[in-house]
Amino acid sequence: MITVGCDVKGAEVEREYIEAARPEHPSLLDPTFIVPELYNTRNVPAVFWIDEDGWIVRGNDPVYATRRNRETGETTINERYLEAVRDWVRHGSRSAYLTSQLETQRRVGATDEANDQAMAHFRLGVHLDRNGHHEEAVAQFKAALALKPENWNYRRQAYNLGSADEYGITMQEAMQTVGPMYAMPLELPEVQST
Amino acid sequence: MVTIVTSEAASSPPNARREGGALWLRNDELLASTGWEIKPEGVCRGEVCVPLPGERAEALMAERDGASWLDVAGFAEYVGQTSAHDAATDTWYFGPGPEERRGHLDMLDAPDFELRDLEGRTHRLSDHRGKKVLLAVWASW
Repeated sequence: MITVGCDVKGAEVEREYIEAARPEHPSLLDPTFIVPELYNTRNVPAVFWIDEDGWIVRGNDPVYATRRNRETGETTINERYLEAVRDWVRHGSRSAYLTSQLETQRRVGATDEANDQAMAHFRLGVHLDRNGHHEEAVAQFKAALALKPENWNYRRQAYNLGSADEYGITMQEAMQTVGPMYAMPLELPEVQST
Repeated sequence: MVTIVTSEAASSPPNARREGGALWLRNDELLASTGWEIKPEGVCRGEVCVPLPGERAEALMAERDGASWLDVAGFAEYVGQTSAHDAATDTWYFGPGPEERRGHLDMLDAPDFELRDLEGRTHRLSDHRGKKVLLAVWASW
């Protein structure tokens, strides 16, 4: 297991979560969004299953290991997904939870020129903001969002580095205008547990 | 002053020259800033070499002051590298080329990456070859 935290502010904002989780696996910081670029993710969470030979056998699942009920604050373990992971560990390539190559490609969404170009604007924006050029950074973030309004990685980070006012649209309004929060649906087959 | 940003680093090559939409880098600074290098077989980065046909080579490469120069902005456009430019600070971003962006995912070959943990230790995905890896991407927001 490898976890990758995507915050442009890096350890400054991620340390408390990582230390609280006391991970025994590599828990990595990705302040320049290298993994979202390579794996074409547009929101968090995103989970990929990679087999022993380095092939993606299931991709872009929008799940955390725990779920928190927003109203009650109660946290529950995502048992159904964990069972799917255990099944993969037990059965490997014979696990019924693996997706076909075509389906995995669909979920990972291999080619997206607009998203790649939006990433260029986003990266430049992060660099400019870090070097004290906030106004210029906002222009780059706006260019990224114009290309990919549904990319929530960009929108959240841009808003976090400044404020929604600079973009003339709140997060709530953005959700209403550009559609529901981007997330691949979690599609798990019904499998008899073994 | 020109600043060049890539996914790995930022640098300010002192001899960079901007001419309109072109950004000329001397070969040694080109290599240091972008990883690309002019070689007899073309413009190369690592194992990849892009041969430039006659007219392109004339437009994108130049010999000046006893050195070879490349218009990296024009070259990025030619090879389909993503890029972005902020005119006020003259900062340029150059992203991966199409072969780097797509080569892996079309084949579902999990792209390798190298990142640090809280203690500054470096980890690579490929260190885990031979084992199953559950790769989970999260954020604090």
